[in-house]
Amino acid sequence: MASTVIGAGITIDGEVTSDEDVIVAGTVRGKLVAKDAVTVEHGGAVEADIAGGPVSVAGTVTGNISSHDRVDLQNGARVIGNVKATRITIADGAQFKGNVDMDV
Amino acid sequence: MASSTQSSSIGRGTVVRGRVQGSGDLEIAGHVEGDVAIEGDVSVDTTGLVGSDITASRIVVRGAVRGDLTAGESIHVENGGRVVGDLRAPRIAIAAGGLVRGHVQTGGATPAARPRAAAAAASVPAPRTRETPAVAPSRPAKKAPPPPPSKAKSTTNHKTPARANLASRIGPPAPIVPVLKKGTKAVQKKK
Repeated sequence: MASTVIGAGITIDGEVTSDEDVIVAGTVRGKLVAKDAVTVEHGGAVEADIAGGPVSVAGTVTGNISSHDRVDLQNGARVIGNVKATRITIADGAQFKGNVDMDV
Repeated sequence: MASSTQSSSIGRGTVVRGRVQGSGDLEIAGHVEGDVAIEGDVSVDTTGLVGSDITASRIVVRGAVRGDLTAGESIHVENGGRVVGDLRAPRIAIAAGGLVRGHVQTGGATPAARPRAAAAAASVPAPRTRETPAVAPSRPAKKAPPPPPSKAKSTTNHKTPARANLASRIGPPAPIVPVLKKGTKAVQKKK
């Protein structure tokens, strides 16, 4: 099963559009759109809006997260931006600043 | 602690429109429209499409690249690989079935090699001006000034632009006169 892995030493300045899983352990600046799962690993930094399926954040995200599935903020996550999802979990230790819209 | 030798990959269904840079290795099986500057190895898979320059230490191409490849160690264009662009590396290998269209240059770009590279570039435009006389007036005027140190080569360059200028009827060989004044002792044939 193919997936896109942006390793720890890699920086992408621009748009990333994918129809498969994206794992970010490096830096993405711009826009990140995925059809499947997006995982921001610990140490990963995304300075962009994220749109995708299930989003799991353990790193830093500065931008809005919009998911048509669930959003999980793990311990160690740092999110500054709005989150729009149908389900959301914020683990103990995650830092979050923004609005949450669960389409209620 | 992040290891800098981590291997990254841009999957088959991924499109990246922007600059990709960093350390570690990168495998491209998707579409990248932006410069790639990686400190490690870059491998473009059979489904990979890269629309711009790649700079890395080792580059292996099995897909399509439209852009210049610059490697610190080696470039391998495998069977199925297509490159439209220049290749610059100390070691270049093009396997049977690999397609390359562009300038291929082995040997590093050290200052000692630069006069040789400039002389090689000066000898390359000469046949080109014969084939395309319409474009010739601009090209010899630009490329003849760079190699003034090699006097032998600049005399041959002056003869072909004179012929090309007369063919395109831009005017008398006045543009070439300033180049002659720069120290060459070529005698221009007045026709």
